Amino acid sequence: MPLRLLWRDWKGGELTLLLIALVLAVTTVSGIAIFVDRLQRALILESSAFLAADRVIEGNREIPDAWEARARAMGLATARTATFSSMVFAGDWNQLVSVKAVSPGYPLRGVLKIADTAFVPGEATERLPEPGEVWIDGRLLPSLDVAIGEALEVGNSALRITQVITDEPDRGGSFFDLGPRVLMRLEDVPATGVVQPGSRVEHALLLRGDDATLEAFRKGLDDDFEAYYDWEDIRSGNASIGRALDRAESFLLLGGLLAVLLSGVAVALAAARYAARQCDAVAVLKTFGMVPSEVRRLYLVSLVVLGGLATIAGLVLAWAIQAGLLVALKDLVPVRLPPPGLRPFLVGSVTGFICLASFALPPLLALKDVSPLRVIRRDIGPGEASTLGAYAIGALGSLVLLVWYSGSLALTGWLLLGIAGTCSVLLLLAGLLLRTGRLVGMQAGSGWRIALAALQRRGGANRVQILVFGLAIMLLLILYLLRTALLEEWQEQMAPDAPNHFVLNVAPHEVDEFRALLSSRGLVAQPFYPMTRGRIVAIDGEVIDDLERRDARRLSSERNLSWAEALPAGNRIVDGAWWSAAPGAPEVSLEAEFARETGVKVGDRLTFVVADRRFDATVSNLREVDWDSMRPNFFIVLTPGTLPDYAATYLSSFRLEAADKRFLNDLLRAFPTVTVIEIDRVLEQVQRIIARVTLAVEVVLLLVLAAGALVLVASVQSSMDERLREYGLLRALGAGRGRILGALVIEFAALGLFAGVLAAFGAEVTVWMLQTRVFELAGSLHPWVWAAGPLVGMALIGVLGTLSTRRVVNTPPAIVLRQTA
Amino acid sequence: MLVARGVGKEVPPAAGTLRILSGIDLEIKAGETVALVGASGSGKTTLLGLLAGLDEPTSGEIELGGHRLTDLDEEARARVRGELVGFVFQNFQLLGSLSALENVMLPMELRGDRDSQVKARELLERVGLGARASHAPRQLSGGEQQRVAIARAFAAAPRILFADEPTGNLDRETGRRIADLLFDLNREFGTTLVLVTHDTTLAERCGRALTIDSGHLVAGRAELAPFGA
Repeated sequence: MPLRLLWRDWKGGELTLLLIALVLAVTTVSGIAIFVDRLQRALILESSAFLAADRVIEGNREIPDAWEARARAMGLATARTATFSSMVFAGDWNQLVSVKAVSPGYPLRGVLKIADTAFVPGEATERLPEPGEVWIDGRLLPSLDVAIGEALEVGNSALRITQVITDEPDRGGSFFDLGPRVLMRLEDVPATGVVQPGSRVEHALLLRGDDATLEAFRKGLDDDFEAYYDWEDIRSGNASIGRALDRAESFLLLGGLLAVLLSGVAVALAAARYAARQCDAVAVLKTFGMVPSEVRRLYLVSLVVLGGLATIAGLVLAWAIQAGLLVALKDLVPVRLPPPGLRPFLVGSVTGFICLASFALPPLLALKDVSPLRVIRRDIGPGEASTLGAYAIGALGSLVLLVWYSGSLALTGWLLLGIAGTCSVLLLLAGLLLRTGRLVGMQAGSGWRIALAALQRRGGANRVQILVFGLAIMLLLILYLLRTALLEEWQEQMAPDAPNHFVLNVAPHEVDEFRALLSSRGLVAQPFYPMTRGRIVAIDGEVIDDLERRDARRLSSERNLSWAEALPAGNRIVDGAWWSAAPGAPEVSLEAEFARETGVKVGDRLTFVVADRRFDATVSNLREVDWDSMRPNFFIVLTPGTLPDYAATYLSSFRLEAADKRFLNDLLRAFPTVTVIEIDRVLEQVQRIIARVTLAVEVVLLLVLAAGALVLVASVQSSMDERLREYGLLRALGAGRGRILGALVIEFAALGLFAGVLAAFGAEVTVWMLQTRVFELAGSLHPWVWAAGPLVGMALIGVLGTLSTRRVVNTPPAIVLRQTA
Repeated sequence: MLVARGVGKEVPPAAGTLRILSGIDLEIKAGETVALVGASGSGKTTLLGLLAGLDEPTSGEIELGGHRLTDLDEEARARVRGELVGFVFQNFQLLGSLSALENVMLPMELRGDRDSQVKARELLERVGLGARASHAPRQLSGGEQQRVAIARAFAAAPRILFADEPTGNLDRETGRRIADLLFDLNREFGTTLVLVTHDTTLAERCGRALTIDSGHLVAGRAELAPFGA
């Protein structure tokens, strides 16, 4: 029986809007989920190349063999690396280099690239240096005056140079791993004798496998791990990519949340309209003896069937849409994306049913309370209490859905707070605006009077409608504004003139000469920062035991120190104050996160050891550092004069196009002791990732826009019956087509205008909150939104509303009246 | 068949209480045709709703076909309606999404009648709309819609039929034909008929007329038998 009625309702066209709303809810949410899932898989795959693995265990102690054996037993792929600084010799020349010794299998992600000569693009290889061989950084060839095939002395061993290494996935942009690269086999290290007990060596165990196994492996590590090692993933391994990924994820999540909310609203509106139109039918069924429990079962079964159909259709559509998008955007997404996992499909189906249960079920279940008396007394509707209860269920359902979907209380919380705040203000203001509109309308021509009186007459319904329109426009504005803020931020990182080469080890007396050489080639050097290596050895006179817990190791490991008169660009004081021009005693500024992790506070006295000097400095402030900027950043900055200038080397950066790479040869010949770090490849990779994330962000915006448009249509449709009746009556009374059309346009444009004003207000407040609290961006105001919101509202709702009610004008009034009687 | 004793109905409006009906006593025997007449707002439609079990009185008792409605909840009253009662309404109340045939089938389907389609076709033939079975209500004229409604009312072979202004929305000629149809079918099915009307001609065709004025029964008071007698 329920199925038969459902089928008949479907034939009668009653279910079309509800079904479309449900299908779109499932389509949008699972479409976003599928697309994001695939992009994320691609991103993580690509980003993992920065680590040369999915996860890395790092520490200054050798990594226990038992760990590697266990990882292999669990099915993870493994490789080991050991990185250390060493002096290498060739003939009369020597150079401080960074040696990386690797075991077979390295790299687990990404590729090594090699060439036969220096300064040419390399070819990807799956080989490694054979035992007894080394691959070296191209610029070592001129600086050591050696050629391929000759020997390089590393400690006690003479190893044959067989290739130039041009690209290494996990080179990163780290300043701790200085000097040109020498790549050798791990098994050759003992013979060199350079690694002795007490040598500073960074040991790493590289791991590759699925997330679950990796996490299981991590959980099984013993106490030694916590004390002496770090667990690196792409987020902790590379700050700029980690942050870009985090923000993109937050944004995509937000987009998904908005899609859920908008779809929910569309479903609720469509269901409310369907329920309203079912009131008479239920009353009639009840007079025929259908009992309330049967009514409930009827609509429950109908909804489950409807939900099932909508879910299947939505999932298929979602798959098709994202596949179509990928085809359309194939120039922008050059690589094949990995196929999606099961999760997005699950997310989509669960969303469909939760939407149904929390937004559509309540108004339909309330139908069981429709009085059969309605057949003779039309004014009786469903009870008020059940309507309130229905809203409560809807609110609860959306909360559950949002938290489950986002897994982020902060994001959900701020969004809901913004929406709740906006809703209450909206309702108040909407009432006020409607009243003012009516007063203005009294003075105006008849088209205006009809329209504004109509607005006023359905005050309650219109308040809700302005709220719905306002919310939809607000959510779209929020998404648009955030997208723009994120893209601007990323664009800055991808600026075409951003420095892409760092130089280190510039001696104080070489600085001017160096700058001159650069400018003779038309290159611009960024500011020079002094830098030296040093360690913190005591806090407030208490000596830090180097071998105790992890934070102690973190605090006391050797770090780069710098000094500056002014706060470096891109830094922000969060505690304390920057020093005055000439402070008396030495002071020090720490990076806030570093200070938090190590428990150092403003006012603490730190004891430093730099080379043979030992001195105290008081912590005068904590800084937040923009790690995304490709500028040199320091954890520790001292007051100028604390250390003599000659104790430092200088570091700077400049931009060099790929075509001008040979300049590096001249540079290194002129300044043989200088170290150049080429981060252009890293930057390129970051840019590729960001371009991909941007694409995802844009697609999500599009899908959410579609959901928003549906809400608008559903909302207009929900007031359709009443409008049809009223305007039908007006036409019967002799109002011409032109006047009715004019009144419709005015009515909807006015609704859109009010909604737009309120949306602009809500969007500004929420975006500010989200920018500062969730995305860690600087908050900004957008004056143009105050013009765009109302304009978009007027245009969108004016057009959509008039189009979907135009049959009022085109249908003879008698038919309109009979249909809606 | 139908007994009301001391039935009253009050509704709470904004201020104070509005008494719509009070002290209604009546008895209608099986097979009787009874008209409830009175001015607009006299309470006759409210009384019809109470007698048919669509609403509960605030005082008094109603017994329909041996079921004391005032002791039953909505669930149980719905079952009694399904078993005994048919309706014809002033505004037809056909379901817009169903065809004429499906509208007539509906009460039989609700009872689980297996050959509802065959019976519904017969009934539509009987009211002269056999050719329009597949039409939607909006494709039918007012008179035709009311004929479908009458066919639907008799579809479940009710023992008592309540009609609320069945000709109120129709022109005189159409109204007369609808009334003919209603009384003909009533005779054929041996149904008890209670109808509310303004139309004196229609009221005169009933065996008896009860006049309601300001919520009171003023004429044609029926002879009362004690409950359960």
